[in-house]
This record gives sequence, structure tokens and C-alpha cells, in this order.
Amino acid sequence: MNTFMQQFPIVFQSLNVGFLQTLKLFAVTLLGAIPLGLVISFGSMSRFKPLSAAVKFIVWIIRGTPLMLQLLIIFYFPGLVFGKQLWGGGESGRFLASAIAFIINYACYFSEIYRGGIQGVPHGQQEAGQVLGLPKSRIFFRITLLQMIKRIVPPMSNEIITLVKDTSLARIIALQEIIWAGQAFMKGSQGISGAIWPLFFTGVYYLAFSGILTLLFGWIEKKLSYFKA
Amino acid sequence: MAILEVKNLNKSFGRNHVLKGIDFTLEKGEVLSIIGSSGSGKTTLLRCLNSLEFADEGQIIVNSETIFDAAINKRPSEKELRLKRLHFGLVFQNFNLFPQYSVLENVTLAPRLLKKYSKEEIEKYALGLIDSVGLKDKVNSYPCELSGGQQQRVAIARALAMKPNILCFDEPTSALDPELTGEVLKVIRSLAERHMTMIIVTHEMTFAHDVSDKIIFMDDGVIAEYGDPGILEHPKSERLQAFLTSF
Repeated sequence: MNTFMQQFPIVFQSLNVGFLQTLKLFAVTLLGAIPLGLVISFGSMSRFKPLSAAVKFIVWIIRGTPLMLQLLIIFYFPGLVFGKQLWGGGESGRFLASAIAFIINYACYFSEIYRGGIQGVPHGQQEAGQVLGLPKSRIFFRITLLQMIKRIVPPMSNEIITLVKDTSLARIIALQEIIWAGQAFMKGSQGISGAIWPLFFTGVYYLAFSGILTLLFGWIEKKLSYFKA
Repeated sequence: MAILEVKNLNKSFGRNHVLKGIDFTLEKGEVLSIIGSSGSGKTTLLRCLNSLEFADEGQIIVNSETIFDAAINKRPSEKELRLKRLHFGLVFQNFNLFPQYSVLENVTLAPRLLKKYSKEEIEKYALGLIDSVGLKDKVNSYPCELSGGQQQRVAIARALAMKPNILCFDEPTSALDPELTGEVLKVIRSLAERHMTMIIVTHEMTFAHDVSDKIIFMDDGVIAEYGDPGILEHPKSERLQAFLTSF
């Protein structure tokens, strides 16, 4: 099968399957890292010094080393040390290990963004709520939260668009995401070999997806632009 | 019967002794202005009254009810604290309006969340307050669309919406351009005419003289002089004389 027209339907089908795995990793990472990041940010702001020091140390480790290295360690470490494949074999095991590495990594980045957002809301806002007799929970949910969200939307959109492309790092432990699917046609798959265009074509998927996210975050920013915080 | 009695209030931040035994009383419907140079403890006193700070010693009594007593070691529960705060309203130097809410929402938020009275009543009362501070045409504007003077007038309406017994002002015009102070002072003056009990920390000497029933001059954490507005014309202490000539 040598003509592009013959190759395209096969490649398209295969890339779609890979992209689905990419999307799954993206979604699971966000679902895990958005709340975990909040927990970590509260930990790093804790007045209990040992806790905040420990959390800051972990954040430093995670932010200071490559995500690719973290993926390799999380995937291979249990097997090498305990002689036991913690993650189970096959694609589901690789996905689980990838998801855990990505969630921990992104939660640490998100926690710093949250911290900036929380500390950026002037203390006077809380005091204004207090002198009006409002309970703390009401002050957080009705006064502080939206101002915090407004502050963190631009840095969060930056991180989330980075995550779209970072999912490709899971290729290193052979997760069958879109880069893996594109590369397969170089080595040979489904009667196609030595074809590099499928790998290049994966870029279209990333561009389209990050384009949609850019529009989405632009829309959110615009929605929140009616007030200045 | 005094509406407010403050007895021997002491407060330190670390080694910095900010309030050194503050005593005064205030009658219902009176206006008290607190003057003094920065760092003399004026703002800390207001913050203690509003339970934003807790004094190390002393008592605060409102309508014969002891709302704060440093001798009682137990920290009040959050609910008790909230009820105590409701005796006072506080208008901040830098307004602290809620930026994401319109003028009307800023004024109605707390009464609505605390269900002080019915929704219709809250709205009606709020609109009346907004009208009384001269911002009828701005009810649906957001704080970022208002001038500083307008924002401060909204902040006054917001504090009044909780129907406090005593309304406190912490340098309400210090963050404003000079041409905008007049509109805020006018609102405070009209409240005084309607016998709202108020405590005003201010640097506006003429205003303090005209609007107040009593003046406290604070110096280095103590009440250095206390009396009717006449003390601004005939200060007894050298400190107050020196302070007044600096204007």
C-alpha cells in the first residue's frame, strides 16, 4: 500500500485510537490533579511548620525533576525493588502508572498556582465579610472563591495547554497514545512501513485540541472580565 | 445610659504596646471622632471594637451587654463572635467592596445570606440606602466602574444594611482624591443629623469639629485628651497643640 490515499484511512483510524488514549490521560490527570493540587496548596500554606516544610520539599522534588524521569521511576521502581509488577501488565497497567505520575506532577504545579491565587486576594475582602457577620465558609464560597478563580485562570490555562502536549511523554513507557500510534507506521504496522507522515500528522491533533482549549479559556476569561480583582 | 463602654483596653503586638488602657463611653446618637498621628493606636482601637483584633486586657460593653472581656479566657465560638460583631459596622479606609458583585448585591449580600429579614424587605431597604448615599443611578454598576468616593458611599450603605448599633469609620477619606472627600463627608454628616451613633477615625479636622459630639485625641496608645469639639480650638495638652499645628 503505497499511495497516500490508500494509507490515509488506516492511519487515521489508528491515530484516532491513539488520540483517545491521549484524551483519556489528559482528562484523568485533570480530574485528579485539580483537587489534589488544592490539598497540596493548603498543606504548603499550613501554619504547622513540619507539614508545610514536608509539602514544600515534595513540591520541590516534583517540580525540580523531569516528568519523564518520574514516569520511568513510577513505572519501573516497584518491579525492580519488590520484584513485583505493581501496575499489572499490558496497556491498563501502563495507563495507571502514567495517570499517577501525571496527577502527582500536575498537582504540584497547580498547588503553586492556587497558592498564588488564594494569597493574591486582599485580606480586606475577608475582613469585610467578617464585619458583616458572615461565617467563614460563606466568606470563602461567596466572596473569595470567584476572585481566586479569576486570578488563576490565565496560569491554569497555560499549564493545561502544556499538559495536552506533555501526555506524549507517556510514550516512554510505551503507553499507546497518539505519538506511539504514529510511530508504529515507521517500523511497520497494518501493511504500512517506513511512513513518517503519520507521526507528523499527529501534530494536527495537538494543534486542534490546544486550539479548542485556547478558545475555551479565552471565553472563561471574558466571562470573568466584568469585574476587576 | 451609655450605648458603649470601653474599659481599660490594652493591646500589644509582640513588644509593641499599641493600646495602653483605653477608657471611654459613648451615648446613643452621639458622634465620636478619634484623631491622632499615625501609629497612635486609632485603627487598632476600631479593630478591637469590631473583633478583628482581640485586646489583651479590658472590656467592651454594648447596651449593658459585655461583648468582650479579656479576663474570660475562653475564645468565643464563631457563632458568638458573629453575633457580637453585628453590634458594630465598619467602613474601611480602602472600601473593600466585593468586586464581583454589583452595588445592589454588595449591599444585600450579607442580609440575604444571614436572612436578616425577607428578600423583598432587604431589597427595598437596600435601594433606600443606596438612594440616601446618592447612588440611585448606579445600583447595577460594579465597583470597578465607580470612583473612589462612590465606592466609599456604597461601603457605607453596605454597612448600614446590617442595621448596626454603632457605625465605625476607619479613615474613610484617606484613600480618596481631595475632590472626592466632600461627597463622602456629606453622607456621614447626614447620618449624624439622623443621630446615627458613630465612631470616626479621621484626619479631617474641620469635619471632626463640625460633626462630632466628642473628640478623642490619641497619642502613643493613650487618650491624651478627651472632650467636646472645643478642644480643637483650645487644646490643653502640648501634644494636641503640636498635632493641630501640623495641619
